[in-house]
Amino acid sequence: MKPHARRLIAGGIVAGVLGALASTALAADIRVGITMRMISENGQKYGQMVMDEIGMINEAGGINGNMIQATLLNDECKSDKGVANANKLIFQEKVHLLIGSTCSSVTLPIVDVTAKAEVPQIIPHSTNEKITKKGSAWVFRVPVSGRYYAGVNAKYVGENIGKRIAYICAADAASQNDCEAMQAQMNSQHGAEAVYVAQVQEKEVDFRTHMQKIKSAGVDGIMIAALAETMARALVQSYEAGIGEEVRRIGSSSASNSPVPAIAGDAAKGVFFAAAYAAADTRPIARLFNEMVRSRYGIHAPDHDFSQAYDLVRIVEIALNRASLSLEDGDLAADRTAIRDAIASVKGYRGLGSGEISFCADPTPQCRDGNRTAVLIAYSKGGEDYVTEVLARVTMPEDFGL
Amino acid sequence: MDFDFSSLLAFIMFGLTIGVVYGIVALGISLIYSGLDIVHFAHGEVYMFGAFFGLVFSSQMGLPYPLALLAAMISIGLLGIVIERVFYRRLTRSGGGYTVAGMGMIICGFGMSVVLQNIAFLIWGADAEPFPVDLGPALEVGDITLPRSYGLTAIIAVVLMAALHLFLKKTRTGLAVRAVAANKDIAFLMGINVPLMISVIFGLACALAAAAGTLIGPMQSVQVEMGYLMLMKAFAAAVVGGFGSLPGAIIGGLLVGIFENLGAAYISPNHKDIYAFLLLILVLMIRPSGLFGVEVRVKA
Amino acid sequence: MRDGLQATALSVASMFADGVGRLNRIHRLVPWMVVFVLLLPVPQLVTIGLSDYYVYLINKICIFILLTVGLNIVKGFCGQVTVGHVGLYAIGAVSSALLSIHLGLSFWVSFPLGVLLAGLAGIVVGLPSVRLEGAYLALATLGLGESVRIMIAVTPFLGSSTGLMLIPPPEIMGFVFDSFQSYYYLVMTAALVGLYLSFSLLRSATGRAFMAIREDVIAAGVHGINVPRHKLLAFVISALYAGAAGALFAHMPPGYIHHNNFTIIEMVTLLLMVVLGGIGHIWGGVIGAIVVTVIYDQTLEYYFYQPLMFGLSMVLLVMFMPQGIGGVIDRSISTRRFIALRQRREAAEGQDHGAA
Repeated sequence: MKPHARRLIAGGIVAGVLGALASTALAADIRVGITMRMISENGQKYGQMVMDEIGMINEAGGINGNMIQATLLNDECKSDKGVANANKLIFQEKVHLLIGSTCSSVTLPIVDVTAKAEVPQIIPHSTNEKITKKGSAWVFRVPVSGRYYAGVNAKYVGENIGKRIAYICAADAASQNDCEAMQAQMNSQHGAEAVYVAQVQEKEVDFRTHMQKIKSAGVDGIMIAALAETMARALVQSYEAGIGEEVRRIGSSSASNSPVPAIAGDAAKGVFFAAAYAAADTRPIARLFNEMVRSRYGIHAPDHDFSQAYDLVRIVEIALNRASLSLEDGDLAADRTAIRDAIASVKGYRGLGSGEISFCADPTPQCRDGNRTAVLIAYSKGGEDYVTEVLARVTMPEDFGL
Repeated sequence: MDFDFSSLLAFIMFGLTIGVVYGIVALGISLIYSGLDIVHFAHGEVYMFGAFFGLVFSSQMGLPYPLALLAAMISIGLLGIVIERVFYRRLTRSGGGYTVAGMGMIICGFGMSVVLQNIAFLIWGADAEPFPVDLGPALEVGDITLPRSYGLTAIIAVVLMAALHLFLKKTRTGLAVRAVAANKDIAFLMGINVPLMISVIFGLACALAAAAGTLIGPMQSVQVEMGYLMLMKAFAAAVVGGFGSLPGAIIGGLLVGIFENLGAAYISPNHKDIYAFLLLILVLMIRPSGLFGVEVRVKA
Repeated sequence: MRDGLQATALSVASMFADGVGRLNRIHRLVPWMVVFVLLLPVPQLVTIGLSDYYVYLINKICIFILLTVGLNIVKGFCGQVTVGHVGLYAIGAVSSALLSIHLGLSFWVSFPLGVLLAGLAGIVVGLPSVRLEGAYLALATLGLGESVRIMIAVTPFLGSSTGLMLIPPPEIMGFVFDSFQSYYYLVMTAALVGLYLSFSLLRSATGRAFMAIREDVIAAGVHGINVPRHKLLAFVISALYAGAAGALFAHMPPGYIHHNNFTIIEMVTLLLMVVLGGIGHIWGGVIGAIVVTVIYDQTLEYYFYQPLMFGLSMVLLVMFMPQGIGGVIDRSISTRRFIALRQRREAAEGQDHGAA
């Protein structure tokens, strides 16, 4: 009996060693790690799209003959999980490039992780301006930074709507940033103080008290900075409280997500917001993209989180093609640096975003917030088959809001 | 903020309309506590399932709203009985309560809540679903605008409570339920089918949660994660009213609703969700068994 | 073969127990010293065999061990139902982080202060336990824990939604604990010290008083145990553990804390660890922390079904193995011992008969 067991163990060890050898033999792949929020429905689709697009690159022959091996993990929009994922991807999977994350509060700590481990990180969705202000040389942001959005919004609101604005700010990092930046911009551009500010929980459901107070305060506009579903609820309840159409509703950038018009229905009409991509864009590339997302993921009109995920994959593709990679185990650090430099060399990329995306080598927000063009979008019809219109398209100067 | 009377009235109205819903859920929690001797941590998820069932019945199957409400209550009630039979019976039979073994009940409840939430996620996805119910234009009362759904919620809630009261006080089954809640051993000796009554209690409580879910759906839309916040508020309501006391649960719900709305309006809007817990702690400090609760049983 | 294996396991266990006993006789700290020395080269070994990531994982396990050991004291040994432990963890983390960010205090000052503050909060959380029982206590602690999280979420000074970032890592005489390996020595030492203290506490009169309260409050009171004081003490001690874990978590690179690290789900995970390891079992917290963390890590890629499995395993665990892994091991060891004893006796009796 016993020798048999010993043989089994020996066999196991041999198999393990062989397995380890096999995995090192496959090391000619470009390893990409992705950590995103995969619990929300759209989040899942963004992640799926990144994986699908990478799969297509591989099918088309890969990058200079090398395949991209992508690992996707879910961070649930929680910073500790996100950091654990980043550590796992960097130190265990030994990825060449990290993509992530969705939520600003997860991206913020991951920036420190990648800076220390010296791994290039490219961000699909987080807009909080502090991310690039940390001065990491390894971080690149595809979406538009919150500071640009606030500038565009404040300019439009002050000139076209009025200065008495009430704010409802949800407690997630992106919305919080949008809300604070907007208040600061309204103050600096128009000298306007907030009429009413309410800080609500991330998933608040009952806004009626706030709406009643806003109603009795009498305002020109209400800024609702929250994640999509929370915002939709707030919009509906603002009408239920009897605040009329003459008070304009201003959304944070997550107003672009499809649940907002779908849940808010008629209450979404007239809501405007700054985003990076307008589904109403008439360029052929945008038309094709809309069609692709509709057929593949069943979304009536893609929001800017789709377009940003798509642009991100294209930028990664360009950079990987440019970088000269050895993909040997010993050259991991050199490869990572090469990929970073290659991403930093991407200039004037014009994809789905409303403007060009350019990065540069300095570890400053000016260089790493690549996308500076915000587009002001308004919903002209709510519901599942919503319609948007473009109010304005603005490219901001690099050091705006710093 | 300057004070005006109609706003105050509006805040109280908001508090009342949400408070009755807290009350209904708290009623279920209170029932379960008296019947099974457990705090049901998965009740928020039962409420969420109720909302989704209501949505399915009303939007996808096209039932009129009151019928959808009833259908959701019945189906969730049955679901609750199944859950109780399959999962909880094993635990409640071996003691329940708050012995170290009974600690398992809390963990089982939490586990069940995670399970139910993820089953719902796999079925309906994580996105919020709108729950459109057309009840006609909103009512204008002076300076306050009140959508009809709020009024309807209050009316249905009161009807439900009256029905429950009648059931418990006027029917033989209700009497049996009360007997089981008071003392299982003696009820058993009196010839009552205790296991069946426990199932009835659990089913009733789940049906109430389903009603609350269907009522709140049109106001707040329906989402997989909606159960948790409601559970917290309903717990607060049940404790404030006194665990095991049915009128206490309702009054607790109303108190929590009004308290948090007034707090958000006049103290600080940022801390709205803390007021419920504040009230809970406050009441417990003054009356450890809640406002209407019976003295806490010490198991010797 | 099965019997042979079991016999071997038993003999190894008894040899181990003998060894520990012998070391114990020299001084009761000696076994701990030995364990400490044995644990010292772990990160190097892990890095050779696996990867740096596992050192990070071990660091997390150590923090969880601190939490679960603390939770086990109040729950497993004193029998108090608390669902607010994660709030104390948050208080320890946030206060230590704030002290070092805003006042520039070094970790070695902010850590004890954070622990102290968590202990004070433990008094607040524990106060209801003096008057409340069972359900009421569970919900009061739940409310307090959740209030702490909401306070953090809506107060910009406490981090709010952006979280507290760039919390400086501990530093001593120019040596910075900012890598996984260096941090390991910190958290491993803390976990070991925490474990040692919990062992000696539970063997002291106080520990016995806790267990008496767990078994029967009234009987404990009759026997002259000051029940309210001991209940409160259990809460405070577990709060100190939670505070220490929180502060260590806050300062662990990348030094970032956010209110959603302290939600009810984290609390449920802690509960799962304690129950899986064996509630009231002295090693329960340790076993649970290791098993849950490792399984969670290994199933990361199945994120779609992971939470469902997590919940289901909790329900089934409570239904079919309520005593946890620790309890099962305990029982099997005692059964083995009993069988061995009986066999010995039977053998002895057989010899007697033979002699007669």
